[in-house]
Amino acid sequence: MDIFLNLLSVILREGFIYGIMAIGVYITYKVLDFPDLSVDGTFPLGGCASAALITLGVNPIIACVICFGAGALAGLVTGILHVKLKITDLLSGILVMTALYSVNMLVTSKKAVLSIFNMNTIFNTGLGKLLYDIFGQWGWVIMAAIVCIIVKILVDIYLSTKSGLLLRGAGSNSLFVTSLGRDPGNMKILGLMLGNGLTALSGAVLTQQKESADVSSGTGMVVMALAAVILGEALFGKVSFIRATTTAVLGMMIYRTGLTVAMQMGLDTIYLKALMSGLFIIALLVGRENKKRQNNSVLRSRL
Amino acid sequence: MKKKMNYKTMALTTVLGAAILLSTACGSTSGSKGSTGKSSDIPTIGVIQYTTVPSLDNCYKGFIEGLESEGYKDGKNIKIDFQNSNAETATADTEAQTMAQKKYDMVAAIATPAAMSAYAACKADKIPVVFTAVSDPVSAKLVTSLDKSGTVCAGSSDKLPLEAQVEMIRRMLPDAKKIGILYTTSEPNSVTDLELIKKIAPKYDFKIVAQGVTNASEVVSGAESLVQKGVDCINNFTDNNVVNNLPSVLQSATKAKIPVFGSEEGQVYDGCLASVSIDYVALGKETGKIAGEILKGKIKPEESKIYVAKDGTPFINTDVAKELGISIPDEYKDATMVTTGSNK
Repeated sequence: MDIFLNLLSVILREGFIYGIMAIGVYITYKVLDFPDLSVDGTFPLGGCASAALITLGVNPIIACVICFGAGALAGLVTGILHVKLKITDLLSGILVMTALYSVNMLVTSKKAVLSIFNMNTIFNTGLGKLLYDIFGQWGWVIMAAIVCIIVKILVDIYLSTKSGLLLRGAGSNSLFVTSLGRDPGNMKILGLMLGNGLTALSGAVLTQQKESADVSSGTGMVVMALAAVILGEALFGKVSFIRATTTAVLGMMIYRTGLTVAMQMGLDTIYLKALMSGLFIIALLVGRENKKRQNNSVLRSRL
Repeated sequence: MKKKMNYKTMALTTVLGAAILLSTACGSTSGSKGSTGKSSDIPTIGVIQYTTVPSLDNCYKGFIEGLESEGYKDGKNIKIDFQNSNAETATADTEAQTMAQKKYDMVAAIATPAAMSAYAACKADKIPVVFTAVSDPVSAKLVTSLDKSGTVCAGSSDKLPLEAQVEMIRRMLPDAKKIGILYTTSEPNSVTDLELIKKIAPKYDFKIVAQGVTNASEVVSGAESLVQKGVDCINNFTDNNVVNNLPSVLQSATKAKIPVFGSEEGQVYDGCLASVSIDYVALGKETGKIAGEILKGKIKPEESKIYVAKDGTPFINTDVAKELGISIPDEYKDATMVTTGSNK
């Protein structure tokens, strides 16, 4: 039972931290319908930048904010490449992801791994320290949850503002946005900035929790985040009182649970990738089937 | 509505079912690593190997031998949970955290990224971490100094015997001026080694021409570019990416008739001219002994001294020497002479 609880704490902690990225990817993939591959580069960007800033003695919370800004800048580049220079969505993402490798190496001053063991992070100063002193490792879970929930609420609030509505319009009905005299392209760029900013923030929080950053930690992040978004929508999308941002976080929890359970049961790690893809495919199929049913019922009600 | 619910339940069952099926299917071969964790009183050691390359495989092999020489045998009086993180830090993190949560008695980590994940996961619970194949544990902040760890980490470091290697290159190639180095910018060991060799080279009147690459596909063009820059030889580190793509490096170099020096004996068997290298099995064995002593309570990780493997043994490939018309200097007459592929 102890082990079960302990593992649950790991799943929840990682779920909340990676969940921030899932919210970001939800914005680019679901709201904007933009398969953004730059995420594989912005995630380590957040991690490396946060490690570098903390080494310089910057306050860890401010470091998180700066990392969000850095990620948003990367998203801006992806957006400009796609919207202004008319490069395809996939390629824009790949180009930025590739270039970010160089940026990340610059940020860490050419170190592949940057450790910040026992330096100040959001998890061992202020509120984080207080929570850890009271709850032990569950304090970390609570801290991760706090960050994730603040992000979720802010994103929910933003999506219901006028600008947020236009952002949603840019993805689902760009003609409507144009008819309001707004440029859907600019809204797309804004969405990409938001999505990548959140991804970088997720990387920054993870780095502060595990106290080291790795320039190659981005591999597989797009797949993980997309799978979480799709899985979350497929399983919880129909539950009316759960917001879409929450389904992304829940999807990440389920995904991490699958991985941890598999590892726990002694699955050789070489099969993890196949398992990840398998989960992804199932989620996609379920999501599509759900949509088909929805469309059918809409048609039926119209008839 | 009822139908929809069914669908959702079905989806959930499928997803979880798939996970469990897959894992039990593969888990049956890997023994009793069940979710109950420590089921008996024998100590459990978790091992995280960062990726699969010959030097790290040898470390693990040696680690097991070292434990056995201390009287610990897997399945008898200890349990070993071996995990490979396939060169992904996120996987290494999850593995390390799982091991820490299961309250293993010790986590052994092979290579720097694995060691960092293990340390991050274990330090709060004060679970001893024994690392090996970490070139610079101090700059990775795993230990405070090589003489006295000061953290839960103990283990061994594999400083490449670069000085001996450069000296060997000088003696074998008396007229050479430039040593070409091909390395991967994301591999911490290589970056440290490069800094080091840059300091050593002037002593032997060499200039270092470094070429960084970022992935496997760039190794060929990297090697070609070194050849174009007129280097007199190419020297390898224990760079996982470059070593995995050694045939492409050898091809470019052989075409230009310049020798390649390796960092492990395996590379000499594969066609490098020579190397002064660390015996990774021996390094792993020393690490296994340290692990055994910690289990027995003989040493405390906090006070332990990091074992540093510095003394290399020279290996020379006589086939390659003959082909390139290089005579073997008298100083290296006692080196281990091998021929291409003779280890297979």
